[in-house]
Amino acid sequence: MFVSKRKKVETIATAFGTLGLLITFTACGGGVPEDTTTTSSEMEEKKFSVSDVLAMVSEENDITRTLYTKAIVGAGKKQGLKFDEDWQDDAIEAGPLPALFLRGISSDIRKSDVPLGLYLGSDFPINASNKFTGKQAELFKKIKANEKPQFFYDEDQKMHTAMFADLAVAAPCVNCHNDHKNTTKTDWKLNDVMGATTWQYPSDKLSYKEAIAVLNAYRNGTKAIYNAYLEEIRAFKNSPKPEIGSKWPSGGFQLPTAEVFIDSIRKLASYKSMEVLMSNVEVPKKERVPALPNNEIEIAAN
Amino acid sequence: MFNNNPLRRRQYIGSLIGISIGILIFIILPQKSSEEFLSLGAMNTGHEGLSCNACHTDAKGTMLQQLQSNVAYAFGQRKTAADFGTQNVDNKKCLQCHDRPNDRHPTHRFLEPKFKDAVAKINATQCETCHLEHNDTRVVLKEATFCVNCHYDLEVKNDPIDTPHAELIANKQWSTCLQCHDFHGNHIYQVAEKMKDTIPLKKITNYLSGGNDPYSNKKKHIPLSEEEWRKLKEEYIK
Repeated sequence: MFVSKRKKVETIATAFGTLGLLITFTACGGGVPEDTTTTSSEMEEKKFSVSDVLAMVSEENDITRTLYTKAIVGAGKKQGLKFDEDWQDDAIEAGPLPALFLRGISSDIRKSDVPLGLYLGSDFPINASNKFTGKQAELFKKIKANEKPQFFYDEDQKMHTAMFADLAVAAPCVNCHNDHKNTTKTDWKLNDVMGATTWQYPSDKLSYKEAIAVLNAYRNGTKAIYNAYLEEIRAFKNSPKPEIGSKWPSGGFQLPTAEVFIDSIRKLASYKSMEVLMSNVEVPKKERVPALPNNEIEIAAN
Repeated sequence: MFNNNPLRRRQYIGSLIGISIGILIFIILPQKSSEEFLSLGAMNTGHEGLSCNACHTDAKGTMLQQLQSNVAYAFGQRKTAADFGTQNVDNKKCLQCHDRPNDRHPTHRFLEPKFKDAVAKINATQCETCHLEHNDTRVVLKEATFCVNCHYDLEVKNDPIDTPHAELIANKQWSTCLQCHDFHGNHIYQVAEKMKDTIPLKKITNYLSGGNDPYSNKKKHIPLSEEEWRKLKEEYIK
């Protein structure tokens, strides 16, 4: 009886001892740094809602796609440049069509450490694999009706998901889709909602650092696919190669370098992106500059 | 000291043998020549001769740090567990050598919500669903009919083949897809326009189980060799 009681005490003491050791072991710090930004101080800085950040990057995407479609594809076609869905095939010497340009950006984002998903779909796609189904198809009906973004939480993948209207912003969108041999709709008009982009991100709040990383991943993707296009041109064997420099196809058989192209996007997108990024920055009271009346702003600008 | 108790001598010899075996294991097992013995199974086609640590790279931190991190994780003091010993072999690891800009079916494509039902049947978001390593094969799937999961309602306009796609689909001939189309689109070849000119199914199944390539010997992108990957890793991959 006495022995078993002693044993019991010993067992309990050993258990508490082990637990104590484990807690001490854990509490002494060290360990492998975590990959995600989950420290308490950074958690506090998560001031951006995922919907704001996705709306911001979607705005950049609209500007990028419009510039590529109008200034590169539209103007380039008039100069004799070719664009094809099989642009990466060895036998085809052409550039990426706008939808494939977006696909290229999306692929490059996936190679980065930013957990951002980007997809393009439609109710009348040229490629059947881009047709919306399920929840996306349901929300796309609303987008088509009012052009307003739609947000939902994808329970299966645990992803915050946003869908934004993709408009026929330029004549090449309408003409190419209406005339394509595999088109499923031939009466597209300018400014029609031709499809929607779907964006996904795993958390509902982002820190300033994470919001910047999302924007950066998108911009790097743009640079990567545009550079891949220029690389394709350099490998042309049977087609004339446009001059690559600071000029745009509107002025001749030429294309801007990746730097010139990206710089133009930055100039067009910076104002709106900066507005979102600055929206959560609190300026300390004493540093606040009193707002000028409107007429004074005009005078200052002049 | 052995005179005091003969058992001591046995203990001493036993300890020596144990320590010697331990040292031998410590020296022999990390040798390149031991890798085949340690491997879970024969490597898949194209991966023969790869070193274990080409895929099973060292996990971050020292073993003590890894242990600490996982204990902390168990007690809810950190959000993620740490890899212990070696890193998990995931898509990113595969793509360090196999990434190509023109992949017709990149894994990330299937993360879009609309592929939910298809992914429930075949998880195309992961390389290892088809290419699980240590199986001495190219593709671990038993049947080459997986295209049905996404393309069941395919409609082809201006169909170029003599037996139209609509007929093949109506007859549920899903094994014919790969007789014309390579899944990742990395081969340079002319797609047949007549059924009689397509690659025989037997050659396709042989290829999937590790046999000769029936599509073409010309490829758009060649994966990195282990040497090339190591060189790049030293320069860029942290």
